[in-house]
Amino acid sequence: MTQLRPDMFEEAAVRLDSVSLRYDSSEEILSGIDLVLKPGSFSFLTGASGAGKSSLLKLLYLAQSPTRGEVSLFGRPTSRLSRDQLSALRRRVGVVFQEFRLLGHLTAYENVVLPLRVMGRKETQYRRDVEELLTWVGLGERLHKRPETLSGGEQQRVAIARAVVTQPSLLIADEPTGNVDPDMAARLMRLFYELNKRLGTTVIIATHDLGLIRQIDAPVYRLANGLLVQESGEAAPAARRRTDPMRAMP
Amino acid sequence: MKPRENSLLPLEDAREAALFFVVGALCFLAALAALSAKSTYGAARAWTAEVEGEFTVSLNGADATASAEAAKLLAKVEGVETARAFTDAEINALLEPNFGQSGLPSDLPVPRLIAVTAEKGTDDLGPRLSQALHDGGYDAAVDAHSEWAGDVRHMLSVSRIAALSIVALLSATAIAVIAFATHAALLARRDIVDVLHIAGARDRFIAGLFERRFWLLGLRAGTVGALVALASVAVLIALGRSGAERTGLLPQLSLDFPDLAVLVVTPVIAGLAARIAAGITVMRALRTVM
Repeated sequence: MTQLRPDMFEEAAVRLDSVSLRYDSSEEILSGIDLVLKPGSFSFLTGASGAGKSSLLKLLYLAQSPTRGEVSLFGRPTSRLSRDQLSALRRRVGVVFQEFRLLGHLTAYENVVLPLRVMGRKETQYRRDVEELLTWVGLGERLHKRPETLSGGEQQRVAIARAVVTQPSLLIADEPTGNVDPDMAARLMRLFYELNKRLGTTVIIATHDLGLIRQIDAPVYRLANGLLVQESGEAAPAARRRTDPMRAMP
Repeated sequence: MKPRENSLLPLEDAREAALFFVVGALCFLAALAALSAKSTYGAARAWTAEVEGEFTVSLNGADATASAEAAKLLAKVEGVETARAFTDAEINALLEPNFGQSGLPSDLPVPRLIAVTAEKGTDDLGPRLSQALHDGGYDAAVDAHSEWAGDVRHMLSVSRIAALSIVALLSATAIAVIAFATHAALLARRDIVDVLHIAGARDRFIAGLFERRFWLLGLRAGTVGALVALASVAVLIALGRSGAERTGLLPQLSLDFPDLAVLVVTPVIAGLAARIAAGITVMRALRTVM
């Protein structure tokens, strides 16, 4: 008999139902994708370059509409939402881009508080928390530096701080370690892991770095030929790894 | 002291400097055209109002005494404010351009002239003057200035419409240029718009950033344009006054309260046009993304 668990009654953080995507008249990049990410889960998305990882993530952070199918976030089918409702939903999602996408005319601190300014928060409400967050990611001394004066790893940490400053329900990272050295990559993964464990943030990370994937016991979804296959995790218990990432990381 | 937070949009770049110049120049031309239109309108009104109630009576075969008596007769006609017979000196002065300073040949019959001014609001005075002179036994012709003022009035109205059309055209051009520039600015800052969009900024929030930026740009460029227009008008007034002897029929530029109001309103209109154009352009562009 199946044992009832509380999370069975929770709305999925992410749900894709038969989602397909094509750009203009090109071939379908994604074909009939089904995916459910439970709240508080940690997952990897992998696949060869050009397999459609970034396109799939775009659907998740609502930068792209699917050609067919339905994308639901936190139990809300996005195709039925108004533009303002979509904006409100985006505020519950933090995104880390491979190329950082920091605004060059803003300091590290200003880049991080950007989502808070978008939400209309007053600086007096968040200043101390943001400074603590930047200290936590190791940038306490570089708050007022512009991105161009920061190293790749520092810029990536600013981007991560910006993605998590609102304590999002869902964190999406697209190749977050693609531009940093292995040590920094491991430190960043530790950050994601801590966010997941401490705040219960649902995390999905797109990467083709198998070394990183092996460090965390989490479901791995592979995209190939437009199809999504779960390689490990709950559906593939034999493939589970039991490594404690907090011990494995520097 | 903590550093002040920067605007979410970067400071002006070269494109905006060029746009500033274009909007400023358009505002200068628009303000100048508006002032010209207003001056033309004012001159037309003043001049036509002046000649509307004026008549010149020519008495044939009359001497100075008869002319004075005829003037007294005309002064009694209802609706006449003043009736004054021209002196010999005044008549000679009028004919001087044709006959020179030596005066008229004594045997040349010259009509005596009487200047009649009508009271305000008096209509159809000409026929009554003719009738009074006829009844008094005078051989006279009454010339209403308003009849030949019509052509000048028509010309001034055409000039006024032309000036207003130029104002409208310049305003439309300014709005189109601003809309184009906003679109270019949006494309150039697509990265910022994308980041804000993904961070959950509402369309209105993003549009508001561009609206504020272009409102200030329009306001500042409009102010510069209006100030240059003000300086130009001041120079034109000074030049006009220095050679004012034979410019009576030309519109006179002035700087009274309505003129200053035009100059004050110009930057506000430029700012509002820039703001509205920016808002519409950004909202349209954002609707093309999810």
